[in-house]
Amino acid sequence: MPSDLQQAVAPAGRRNRGGHVPSTHLTGEIWLNAQPGYRRKEVEEMSEKFSPTLRIGDLNDFIAPSQACVVSLKGLKANSNVAKKPVKPEVAVGINRQTEPVKISLKDCLACSGCITSAETVMLEKQSLDEFLSNLDKGKTIIVSLSPQSRASLAVHFGLSPPQVFRKLTTFFKSLGVKAVFDTSCSRDLALIEACNEFVSRYKESLLSEAEKSKVALPMLSSACPGWICYAEKQLGSYILPYVSSVKSPQQTMGAIVKRHACHSMGLRPDEIYHVTVMPCYDKKLEAARDDFTFEVESPERTDDTDTMVTEVDSVLTSGEILDLIKLKAVDFKAVEESPLDSMLTNVDEQGHLYGVAGSSGGYAETVFRNAAKTLFGREIGGPLNFRTIRNTDFREVSLEVDGKTVLKFALCYGFQNLQNIVRKVKMGKCDYHFVEVMACPAGCLNGGGQIKPNQGQSPKALLQSIEAVYMDNVVNADPYNNPLVRGLYDEWLGQPGSEKAKLYIHTEYHPIVKSITAQLHNW
Amino acid sequence: MDFNDEGSHFELKEIQTLSGHTDRVWSLAWNPATGTDDTQPVIASCSGDKTVRIWERSALTRSWDCKAVLEETHTRTVRSCTWSPSGKLLATASFDATTAIWENVGGDFQCVSTLEGHENEVKSVSWNASESLLATCSRDKTVWIWEVMPGNEFECASVLQGHTQDVKMVKWHPTMDILFSCSYDNTIKVWAEDDTGDWHCIQTIGESSNGHSSTVWAISFNAEGDKMVTCSDDLTLKVWEADIEGMRSGDDQVLWKHISTLTGYHDRTIFSVHWSREGIIASGAADDAIRFFVESKDSAVDGPSYRLLLKKEKAHDMDVNVVQWSPGENRVLASASDDGTIKIWELATNST
Repeated sequence: MPSDLQQAVAPAGRRNRGGHVPSTHLTGEIWLNAQPGYRRKEVEEMSEKFSPTLRIGDLNDFIAPSQACVVSLKGLKANSNVAKKPVKPEVAVGINRQTEPVKISLKDCLACSGCITSAETVMLEKQSLDEFLSNLDKGKTIIVSLSPQSRASLAVHFGLSPPQVFRKLTTFFKSLGVKAVFDTSCSRDLALIEACNEFVSRYKESLLSEAEKSKVALPMLSSACPGWICYAEKQLGSYILPYVSSVKSPQQTMGAIVKRHACHSMGLRPDEIYHVTVMPCYDKKLEAARDDFTFEVESPERTDDTDTMVTEVDSVLTSGEILDLIKLKAVDFKAVEESPLDSMLTNVDEQGHLYGVAGSSGGYAETVFRNAAKTLFGREIGGPLNFRTIRNTDFREVSLEVDGKTVLKFALCYGFQNLQNIVRKVKMGKCDYHFVEVMACPAGCLNGGGQIKPNQGQSPKALLQSIEAVYMDNVVNADPYNNPLVRGLYDEWLGQPGSEKAKLYIHTEYHPIVKSITAQLHNW
Repeated sequence: MDFNDEGSHFELKEIQTLSGHTDRVWSLAWNPATGTDDTQPVIASCSGDKTVRIWERSALTRSWDCKAVLEETHTRTVRSCTWSPSGKLLATASFDATTAIWENVGGDFQCVSTLEGHENEVKSVSWNASESLLATCSRDKTVWIWEVMPGNEFECASVLQGHTQDVKMVKWHPTMDILFSCSYDNTIKVWAEDDTGDWHCIQTIGESSNGHSSTVWAISFNAEGDKMVTCSDDLTLKVWEADIEGMRSGDDQVLWKHISTLTGYHDRTIFSVHWSREGIIASGAADDAIRFFVESKDSAVDGPSYRLLLKKEKAHDMDVNVVQWSPGENRVLASASDDGTIKIWELATNST
């Protein structure tokens, strides 16, 4: 299944059972006459918020065969009317007579508060393998950016090491016509440096007196998890969003690098590139579809003077979909030759070793902690950080004491339940963490909903342990500040961490989403 | 008490009708710490009018009066309310997606905590026996377990997914930390904590295991905690039994088994069921009636069976949403209805 947020909102086909329904006896009579099989008390349990007109008008939506998605009901309804008895005239009033099923885009999902992220059906339909395959021969230059979590998932599945998977995938993708295969560990290092910089300035801001403060500063909540961002925007809104780091995720950072900078050195315009990422997570597809991650370019070939909208990441495939693709092409993956890696945007050193941060969910808390300890307090922390388990292994914290006083207190907070407690503390003003690495999935990104499913007989827990064990196998743990590729990006393009250019390209904004009535009607 | 004594004739006597709510009354709860020798009984009720009312019986006149109206906290219907076992805290679940915790501070009820997190309507709330855990359930299909921390703090200990539809009620076992939930998906689920502190569904009782064939609305336990009764939109009550000693000794394979279905007594949805300490099962239904059932002595061959002791027609003018026995006085019952009233009843015996 996708992330646990997904699971919480995953559609479940609603059975329209005939059952005992009294047809008199109360106010909601018209409903009952119109729809046998509908349960009166359930209506009462939610009817108070809707006007009678709306209730009658929307009645049929409500009982459509699938409650998978509120938006699609308009389309499904037309079909269901054909299949069932003709609807009574008074009920038909107000029904949209559209007969074509409505197509829902991931952008619709982002704007709708019906689900927290997206209905699974919509998520699977869009940006699927078919779309990827159909784009292979459209004349665009295809670039694939592979996440280290997906690399690990495939490594465990095939019994290979992460570098082997990377090199074999490079061969495989190039045989399909892909121009280059990059590594989101590289863009992640850039995102981490921006996050370090953002934290230090928020921390300094938090030390100012109330009068001098211009914004809420701490705790800073990480922003790389799209499930968490959707949840924050749709369910929590304006009180939590100011605490969320403005730094783009590694996926979108890579999108910005490829489409706004690297394309030029490849002699391409941004709109000539089709950029695909490979991710452990379905919600990454939603992230890629955000309006915030598109930009306009002038298209020289156009004569009508209109600008072209360019999307940083055109398509997102999950680790599982890559396995499907390998199977679809009937490739013996273990036998595929290993190609050299595209070192332009891949964390690979001259000896061919992969490198990156160790944290399997991006290493945000650890990297920001080490940097803050050094920058703010002159403390260089050698060796691994001592994260203490608080409630469970998905809620751990680490702190730094200077002169007997706790000056830095960071937490890792994975999974919906732990996330709730952080949110609750923030809302009550009782959160004493300075930084929280928030991930919606229990156990973090290696356990993402898009990872390859366990083999038969294998427990999800055992699979996760294998992936965790292999994640840094033959990958060198390296400080993002020492990454020559990232240094190059600052030198040639962004200038300094936190510069205006960095803010323009590597940072983003969040928008609270207001709940709609249609969404509230959904799925009671 | 032998209810099979043919010489006894049972009658449900109305003691008082409590009016005040301006919309349907969804639920009510007797404060378990009241109604003893030195305190007068207290009831909390909640309604579609978005308020909670606190009712107390006067020691002098024996008449029930509304002592407090808890308003301006919930912004939508208050669907259910329940007192903590010590009677010190009241939890209220609302369609506004929140659960509020109230404390009686010198006769004045203050909202001391608000639990947020459910995506939409919260339907039910339940305290465990030791008052260390609180469970809530919602139309969002999830069941949440909250840990009660010092200083009226609540921490989310688990978000349980498993039901495929609206969860109607959560109920802790009367003595053990085992949670029960029932749903519009027709099932009853049993949840328990494992060694690592994670909560899991240990049993799902569906139609295929003699369970209900439509929405399960409520759950109640007998005094010993080894039997449970459930009521449903399928017009039946079902009685379940488990080896409680096995459960106490930590055997997590103990399952609840169907022992009896009370069918043919109801012809409308049964919304509420409550088992009294002395073994009388009361039900409240959509036909405005309240019914009472007791174990029948005759047919112990295939396990216990139950017989109708009394049916009170027209107990209310509309649906009976809840029936609750008094924890203090035997055979005193409160009911609440869509008609906006709460009624206090006594199940009386007239020897013939």
